[in-house]
Amino acid sequence: MRELCGEAIDAATAGGAGYADARAVTRRAQHVATKNGEVESVSDGETEGIGVRVLVDGAWGFACDRRLTGEGARAAAERAVAFARASAGRAGRRQVELAPAPAGTGEYKTAAERDPVDVPLSEKVDLCLRAEGAMQHEDVKITEATLRAQREQRAFRSSEGADVYQEFVECGGGIDALAIREGKVQIRSYPSAHGGSSSQSGWEYVEGLDLPGNAARVGEEAAALLRADPCPSGVTTVVLDSEQMVLQVHESVGHPTELDRVYGTEAAYAGTSFLKPGDLGSLRYGSDLMNITADSTTPGGLGTFAYDDEGVPAGRHPVVEGGVLSGFLSSRETARMIGAGNGGSMRADGWSRMPLVRMTNLHLEPGEGSFDDLLADVDDGIFMCTNKSWSIDDKRLNFQFGTQIAWEIKNGKLGRMLRDATYMGRTPVFWSELDAVAGPDEWQLYGLTNCGKGQPGQHAHVSHGTSAGRFRNVQVGVRDV
Amino acid sequence: MTSDGQALELAERAWRAAEADEADAVVQVEESGFARFAASEVHQPTLISDESITLRVVRDGKVGCAVTNRTDDEGLREMARRAADAADSAPADPGYAGLQPPSAVPEVAGFDAGTAGLTPEEQASLAAKAIEAAPEFGLYGYFTSGVTETAIASSTGHAVSQRMTDASVLAIAASDDASGYAEATSWKADDLDPAACAREAAEKAARTRGATEIETGTHAAVLEPYAFSELLWYFGFSSLGSLSCLEGRSYLSGRLGEKLFHESFTLIDDGLDPQSMPKAFDLEGVPKQRVTIVEDGVAKDVVWDRRTAKRAGDGRESTGHALPAPAQGFGPLPLNLSVGGGDVPTAQLPERVGDGIYVTRLHYLGVVDPREGIITGMTRDGTFKIEGGKVTKPLVNLRFTTSFPKLVEGILGLSEEVLLVNRSDYYDERYPFGTRVPAIATSAFTIVGTGSGPGL
Repeated sequence: MRELCGEAIDAATAGGAGYADARAVTRRAQHVATKNGEVESVSDGETEGIGVRVLVDGAWGFACDRRLTGEGARAAAERAVAFARASAGRAGRRQVELAPAPAGTGEYKTAAERDPVDVPLSEKVDLCLRAEGAMQHEDVKITEATLRAQREQRAFRSSEGADVYQEFVECGGGIDALAIREGKVQIRSYPSAHGGSSSQSGWEYVEGLDLPGNAARVGEEAAALLRADPCPSGVTTVVLDSEQMVLQVHESVGHPTELDRVYGTEAAYAGTSFLKPGDLGSLRYGSDLMNITADSTTPGGLGTFAYDDEGVPAGRHPVVEGGVLSGFLSSRETARMIGAGNGGSMRADGWSRMPLVRMTNLHLEPGEGSFDDLLADVDDGIFMCTNKSWSIDDKRLNFQFGTQIAWEIKNGKLGRMLRDATYMGRTPVFWSELDAVAGPDEWQLYGLTNCGKGQPGQHAHVSHGTSAGRFRNVQVGVRDV
Repeated sequence: MTSDGQALELAERAWRAAEADEADAVVQVEESGFARFAASEVHQPTLISDESITLRVVRDGKVGCAVTNRTDDEGLREMARRAADAADSAPADPGYAGLQPPSAVPEVAGFDAGTAGLTPEEQASLAAKAIEAAPEFGLYGYFTSGVTETAIASSTGHAVSQRMTDASVLAIAASDDASGYAEATSWKADDLDPAACAREAAEKAARTRGATEIETGTHAAVLEPYAFSELLWYFGFSSLGSLSCLEGRSYLSGRLGEKLFHESFTLIDDGLDPQSMPKAFDLEGVPKQRVTIVEDGVAKDVVWDRRTAKRAGDGRESTGHALPAPAQGFGPLPLNLSVGGGDVPTAQLPERVGDGIYVTRLHYLGVVDPREGIITGMTRDGTFKIEGGKVTKPLVNLRFTTSFPKLVEGILGLSEEVLLVNRSDYYDERYPFGTRVPAIATSAFTIVGTGSGPGL
């Protein structure tokens, strides 16, 4: 694959590209889903191709070809050059410039005890069915289990001499129980909603989730939610579990700090950001307890690599320090525009999409104390767990999130269960009310695979490490009036 | 790129490579170009060329799927091996409804040679037309066109294929303190006028400066087709497929036959409509049927695939709304929703509202409660006050959490004009689809908060 990337670059530069990079990818993806004790689907896909990105006359172009052959590589390169040239448009357009970066060379391979793709599909099916079987309850009408495994080989080369080969494996899964009674529906999931959690690890990660061991609790809680009181409306103290904190970080910190959004290049779809380049180093994002780190070296992170999809080495840098914006997620282009750093957050979905600025692994740094310590200072509040719904505005300011389950907090203790819990806020106001973060023992790493961005759309797999957090003065219980 | 017949030939080769009691193969071919622009420059132009094959095999009643984009014999054999392994790993599937027997599919429109022949240079030029038409703002959006082909062949002898073209232009005219939106889509690029789209967005943007807030609560509102289409799609995804209905998760579960909406509301799914993105068959080769979902406010039916039809029994048959086999866990989906127009010229809809809100488009919707049809999201790129029946002052982006059924129950008027609105964000394999909707005036649109102002 590396030779093909070289052929593509040669064809691109011969065609007039001032810069070119090529990414050849093979991806093997397995998915098993069961529902109500029956197999819903077992699929095993393998796709391959090459994507070529070029700069011609200061303008980008991208083309791809599914053929991992010299012909396919050259065709992709020539088409990318042609589209870049056609798109360069009027004289006087901004010339794309890239921040200098060392041309990465080397290899990387996920550390895995047991390649998840090599685990027999029958074993995956059996695990799903066993987990489902343990969720049974009179009111649980739908049980679901999903497992996934992926192996990807990625070769990257650039006209600046980058030459990288990386092999990634990842896996994950989850279970859901839907309780239905008298027309009411409630759901509980483990380890997280919307397809579970994944890790860049071997199959030992899935075994460690212990889906069957958690299934009974999931079923019981789903059923209990049918009889629970609705979340009251009002302004109160909210404690978010680590899983819901993942979504909070992802939506209200990760996306607005993508520097391409700040510069407007995602305005037509995912939106922009309330942040401006000049906010770097000065904007108060949240309380002093808010510390966010971007780290593409985190063991087990879905966003961990040796080099990003521009060949920039992995690294770790603060995004928010003591509540102050201290870094963005960037590419070489946006790093040059802001005059800081050299990128490191460019990622593409497979071979058929051009790379975009994406989260890698974005963490809320742990604080101190236990979860019980967070509760102890709450006279009257609500503890919310596991995401159910989410929506946020185009600048990442106004959000409304819902969780599957909640509990009243009274005088430092968990009380009655609550259903249909929602909360809303404005990003910096909400984060300024963060007054406690649980400590390292409570910190957990989650991986999600459904982060969408770009036109045409593409998915990124990202991880977030979080502990539970406590927020004061939060509007809760928002529904149709 | 395959020419006529090659995709079907590939599908035949794919299922014949399987060692199975039954097998079907779905081939999806794509050649597309995306001239994406921001700040009035094409900044992310993307050309895609791909052929994807999904093979489903049945062995001793067990079902498995595999995917490849290698079209050589070795690639097909490898895919067949993985599909067989997938099938053998599972117990027999009692829900398996068999493969579609040989059947005729309707002739549909949906392929335009001119659109298929657009070169990257022409795609970039059409994007440039939009950009040049709105010089007073930065322009953000895209022009895209593609030609796709879907071919299905199976061991039953069923063999169908359809080539489709699609083109869309989307424009947001924006500055730091203003933004307006417009889009257009068709299976014929010549139907689109990128410059007009950009001018519509710019005219809207110019009126959004100086936006103010509005009190929360339930307001009367006009939703342009862009906004109404997106609400309808989210409601449709969660409630109008038979799987969610059978499982009790849908708003329509247990409610079919009841009058749930305003009598002026009639909703169909019609894949054969030449004014939509026509499809002759679904992703298991079942001929598409026109389905009346709501008629004069009465909920009539949902959409079906072979699997859910078997589950329902009672003579129920597929209506031709299946997704590809690996995605059938989502159930069948209505990808050609169409709401009948009303009797109000679009410009007169605000008069039906009196005092309320005018909404151009929405952003980032989330289903809060599928059983009650409650959806949340933001307005964006052109939100205004309606005062005395006239569209007046600009408003900031507003958060709504509202019941789609109540919104439709509260219809004050539907526009005569109906617009096809694209609903594809072009993830994975390109499969064009959209909704045909009028603008709607309603008494029930609930605002629960405010967001940022219009603009970047």
